[in-house]
Amino acid sequence: MTFNPLRERGIPLDEQVRTWRELAVMPIDPDEADPYTRCRIITMNGIETEAIFFSHHMARHCPSIEMKQQLARVRYIEAQQQKAVNWLLPGLASVLETTIAYEQVAVDLTAWVARMEPDPYLKQAYQFGVLEDFDHLYRYANLYEMIEHRRAEKIVDGLTEVMPGRPTYLHHRNPVDNVRQNYDKDAAAPISKLHALTIMAAEQQTMNFYMNVGPLYMEPIARQLYQEIGMIEEEHVTHYESLVDPGETWWEMLLNHEYNECYLYHSFMETESDPRIKAIWELHLNMELEHLRLAAEMFKRHDGRDPEQVVAPALPAPVTFEPNKAYLRELLATQIDYTTIGTGYVQEAHERFEAMQRAVMDDEKPASELVISENAMKSGHEYRLETEGPHPVPSLRMNRPT
Amino acid sequence: MSRLGKSMNAQHADVVAFLIRQHSEIKDLFAEVEAAEGDAREEAFRRLVHLLAVHETAEEELVHPYVRQVVDGGDGIVDDRLREENEAKQLLSDLDEMGSQHPDFLKHLEVLRKDVLTHARAEERYEFPHLTREGDPARLTKMTAAVQAAEKMAPTRPHPGVESATKNLLLGPPMAIMDRARDAIRKAMGEGR
Repeated sequence: MTFNPLRERGIPLDEQVRTWRELAVMPIDPDEADPYTRCRIITMNGIETEAIFFSHHMARHCPSIEMKQQLARVRYIEAQQQKAVNWLLPGLASVLETTIAYEQVAVDLTAWVARMEPDPYLKQAYQFGVLEDFDHLYRYANLYEMIEHRRAEKIVDGLTEVMPGRPTYLHHRNPVDNVRQNYDKDAAAPISKLHALTIMAAEQQTMNFYMNVGPLYMEPIARQLYQEIGMIEEEHVTHYESLVDPGETWWEMLLNHEYNECYLYHSFMETESDPRIKAIWELHLNMELEHLRLAAEMFKRHDGRDPEQVVAPALPAPVTFEPNKAYLRELLATQIDYTTIGTGYVQEAHERFEAMQRAVMDDEKPASELVISENAMKSGHEYRLETEGPHPVPSLRMNRPT
Repeated sequence: MSRLGKSMNAQHADVVAFLIRQHSEIKDLFAEVEAAEGDAREEAFRRLVHLLAVHETAEEELVHPYVRQVVDGGDGIVDDRLREENEAKQLLSDLDEMGSQHPDFLKHLEVLRKDVLTHARAEERYEFPHLTREGDPARLTKMTAAVQAAEKMAPTRPHPGVESATKNLLLGPPMAIMDRARDAIRKAMGEGR
């Protein structure tokens, strides 16, 4: 059944303000919740955070007070939505457990988007990035075992494998090589625009999270690992944001943002396993439909075009959290040695890449390498969760000859 | 009600909330010792020795064994905490022998303060949440009563009118206070030797 969010009516904006009592949501159980419920919460927090900051950014470029007031009214509701969503995360979970969940999002969301993306250049961008998030998951899982004495399989619940991807130290590229070509707003499929916005928002929130929680650690190895991976998340934001056509007008960007929020809440409403959380996705979808209607009106008035010329006439297939093990193993086997050069990709280390590596490493091993050897020393083994057999890349197998 | 809801309601009575509050008292007491001089410093330091001794004993007698028993990975968590605790205990004994009037006292107190607060934060982050997540609420409440019994064995702050008696109870090296606290806790838990 098709669902055209432009034709649906949501909750009137004046009725969307919530009381403190309504915002005091009960968190999910850290040990018993569906890991993909937690992934959907983390994703929607990233989407709402982007919505808030995009709206602030737009308001700063807005000459008209009436427009700024309109943006402020919707943004207040979005700020409440962000609270209602992100406060579903339990305080009983440790920061590292939440971090591992963030990386599970990055892996399974990016892999799903890569599988569904119709444009080959954009697909390559997601395939490239996912192998790096996959490796971050493995590094943080080792830190988790080392300082909390817990195994990450309790968090990812066997849905996502934990093993080396493209080694983290090789993600430190010359910043110039992180910028991709953008899609053409007039030629790109609507789903491609939604994918770019979704992954950009998710990576941006991951960057925000690491840059703020990293210094709260006492252990030097943890502080350093958050710094190192935090720097890579910034590279990822550069990588994904550059996919978006900068020629879109502010009104068009606002319309795409609101449409994407409808798409994701609708997707998660359709796929959520926890009925209590499903009701929140449904409520927020009904709020977003009104935000979209208001954005569409502003778009018609100020951009002069019909919204249906820009966005899809019906929502695409729902974004689904599901295991991507075989797909990831295929990518590991074929793309692990990729790096970027200019806006493209190569399989060997080039001069600019190597110069950057020398500049940040100074011949010392970074935290992402030390965390594996230190955990192996402390726990007697490095941590992996290989549910589908040995690593597809022979040189990255356990107990490989050294 | 979900397990999570139950544990949240139990928060005020259970041993985790109690120990976290003691961490905060310990932090304040360090500041008080540092700020005081002469007899006032000695008096504040005796209270600090007492509180640390009772607190660490309660953790060793009640919390750590239970974490080993019920928490997955509990042995590793407790081994890390004991390593931190043993370092702090040694420092405390050294400081106790040195005495609060020694010229190097404040320098050594600062080392102890950092060690104790790092250890406390590690417990709050890596050990206590598992008690709340996996522990039996009734058992956690019973533990609070036992820590309170140990605390009452000698008050941590002087009460009006009983200054001299209090002073006597506060005296003694950390190890002696720990022994008395251990007896009080075992008695309260019904495991007297």
